[in-house]
Amino acid sequence: MRADPLETAKEAAVPALEMRGIGKRFPGVIALDGVDLALAPGKVHALMGENGAGKSTLIKILAGVYGKDTGTIRVGGRETEFRSPRDALRQGIKVVFQEIALISEFTVAENIFLEEYPRIAGGSIDWKRIRAEAAALFQRIGFDVDPAAKTGDLPVSQQQMVEIARALAHEARIVVMDEPTSSLTPKEVELLFVVIRRLTALGIAVVYVSHKLDEVFEIADEVTVLRDGRHISTKPIGAHTHDSLIHDMIGRRIDNLFPRVRRHSPGKAVLTVENLSTDAKLKGVSFEARAGEVLGFFGLMGAGRTELAKAIVGYDPIRSGTIRIDGTPLVPHDTRRAVGLGIGLLTEDRKTEGLMLELPVLQNMSLASLSAFAKAGFVDEGRERSAVQSFVDRFRVKTPGLGQAIKNLSGGNQQKVLLARWLMRGLKVIVVDEPTRGIDVGAKSEIFALIDQLAGEGLAVIMMTSEMPELLGLSDRIAVMAEGRITAVMPRDAATQEIILNAAIA
Amino acid sequence: MTSETLPARRPGLLVGALADKSQVVLIGLLVILCVAISVAAPQFYSVDNTIAILRQCALVLIVAVGMTMLLIAGEVDLSVGASLAFTGCVAMDVTNRTHSVTLGALAALAFAAAVGLFNGLVVTRLRINSLIATIATMMILQGSVYLYTREAVQNKHQLDAFTAIGAGYVGPIPIPVILAAVIFVLGYVALRFTLFGRYLYAVGANQKAARLSGLRAERLKVIAFVITGLCVGVAGLVLCSLMNAGQPTAGRGFELTVIAAVILGGTSLAGGRGTLVGTLLGVLLLKVIDNGIIILRWNQDLQMVVPGIVIVLATWLDIIRRKADAR
Repeated sequence: MRADPLETAKEAAVPALEMRGIGKRFPGVIALDGVDLALAPGKVHALMGENGAGKSTLIKILAGVYGKDTGTIRVGGRETEFRSPRDALRQGIKVVFQEIALISEFTVAENIFLEEYPRIAGGSIDWKRIRAEAAALFQRIGFDVDPAAKTGDLPVSQQQMVEIARALAHEARIVVMDEPTSSLTPKEVELLFVVIRRLTALGIAVVYVSHKLDEVFEIADEVTVLRDGRHISTKPIGAHTHDSLIHDMIGRRIDNLFPRVRRHSPGKAVLTVENLSTDAKLKGVSFEARAGEVLGFFGLMGAGRTELAKAIVGYDPIRSGTIRIDGTPLVPHDTRRAVGLGIGLLTEDRKTEGLMLELPVLQNMSLASLSAFAKAGFVDEGRERSAVQSFVDRFRVKTPGLGQAIKNLSGGNQQKVLLARWLMRGLKVIVVDEPTRGIDVGAKSEIFALIDQLAGEGLAVIMMTSEMPELLGLSDRIAVMAEGRITAVMPRDAATQEIILNAAIA
Repeated sequence: MTSETLPARRPGLLVGALADKSQVVLIGLLVILCVAISVAAPQFYSVDNTIAILRQCALVLIVAVGMTMLLIAGEVDLSVGASLAFTGCVAMDVTNRTHSVTLGALAALAFAAAVGLFNGLVVTRLRINSLIATIATMMILQGSVYLYTREAVQNKHQLDAFTAIGAGYVGPIPIPVILAAVIFVLGYVALRFTLFGRYLYAVGANQKAARLSGLRAERLKVIAFVITGLCVGVAGLVLCSLMNAGQPTAGRGFELTVIAAVILGGTSLAGGRGTLVGTLLGVLLLKVIDNGIIILRWNQDLQMVVPGIVIVLATWLDIIRRKADAR
């Protein structure tokens, strides 16, 4: 099938937006090198690429956050430029960033009209009209939320809708969504897709930036792939297969996203949890995890996976129940003893609970095992350094050096450092919560391989995940949670998507 | 980039620490200032004046060592000025009553450490933001020192050992300078080479991550508060000895000078970042400015104005340097 995107776009109409030969360099890096992007009205255009491919830079140019160095931008056929986010919005382009830019103390309605409040005579703000118009906008995208609600009280999914409504309020012709589903439940994703289809029905061009192949295949009409700041391909989605899309993104083929090398069968139970309840969420959770297995926990958002993870590593207090590691009861709410017993958590939220962003790779990796390098309270930096270096080599962490601040590493490499933090410590049980969140495809398979390797070395791995392929690809046994309880436990071979989802909804 | 937290690449080399990139701006400013003042007033560049500057630095530096640790751990203590004055009164009073400098000194240390412990517990147990908690402590101390003594506690027995703490010399070097140097070195070693120091950085950089990794974040913070208290104890003793009395009004604004010096030295209010070498440079810079203003016979009120400007300038230059570094 021959597919020239510009041809197809022209056939449809004048492109809503056309970027040609966009170049952008930052000191030392060429972020974008002659990238083209054409958006047809009423179509969903997916923008894909690994981290560092240039997606964010391109979006930020669209949003008016960065200026371009070379190339032209046409909106509705007319050449133009975006001088600021406000300017871009005025020209009909609304970008919904991953980190939602709403004022959480304001009401939903106030946020929607933030740039320009309707006023009544005398210059004071017309609150009545703001509420009414906000409600009308929500109706147009088919979304039910109280315009008078305080924005910060809403879940992320609804805040996203507020952002989208904001786009409509400004009569945006182009809506850009940056990783919109990264913190949504499957149900919320479906809702989002309904809203996206409504937007396209209104003739709005949607740019959909995502790592998730399944979503792209479901929602996108066309897909543009960037790699290393270059334009690799633009094709109708029908012209792609999973493999061809991955191939375009990473320039090589990943034969098996879930490499399994483990052969032997799991050993004895190392972690035993009995009747665990917390004030917040968990109700009588019991299970055991065996040495050398990956026990996958699936659940929809709010099922209690993260709560369970934090309780069994001694981070959060519990109300009742026991947690035993190799038979020794764990003192609740005491991470120090928990780590001493050999259980640790690879947190879901890398930035706020895992990384020390400003500190170097060295300190980040050795944090949990520092005392092992100390004699009489003094740290033997030589030993620390060589241990860290050996893990950097073994995990193939891409970093210019151990002194590099960890915030400058990609998500995948940060995750490897955090995994290494625990491996250096030597654990019996590791709990990994959404281990590949925000990590691109290439690095994902490396993280999977590492997790597999951990189990192979005899650790009990407990993996909390909301991603079905990850769950099915990596687990030996699967536990499903719903509303703070375990609703099903099954061996991997007995599991199907239907069984799991049924248990998760129960 | 390691440099920001681990100053010397080769442990133990002061040269390595001083050559640290993040301190370039400060060293530059300090050199320019010293040269400029020396040109305008040649008496600046003399042994006597150098010793005078060091003596003025001592009091601030002693407390700044503790404050640097506290800031690195992500907390702050605004009660050090009020505590300094109260500690002085306690030291003098106990010395008067017992005829013993040792008991006076121990009382001073115990009192100031107790204030630190109180601050630490309020912050970690009641989870009150340290800025607010220590402002409250400051108010409590400023008021209660008057309940303790209406006026200055005079030195009744004029014990030689007591006077020596603040005014004595070992050879040409004032005792307060020696005390400051010892505390500085202890602090430097603790921050740079010990588990405790590394943990302080970790807790300040990300308390949740530190806790998940098995660190006792709260306990570490309490210890940092107590260390700051002990530093205040030493400083209070020195100040009291220098003034030959316990002054309830002493130490007003002292906390701001200390914090200014620490921040000037590149320690982040957000925690996780900072060095004692930077703090030392910060203290030196502020005190050289003070000294210069006096020597040049400028209006003394400039002693507040100029440091204010310098703080803005140095912080801004540091931001520029960081950006340049990132490239």
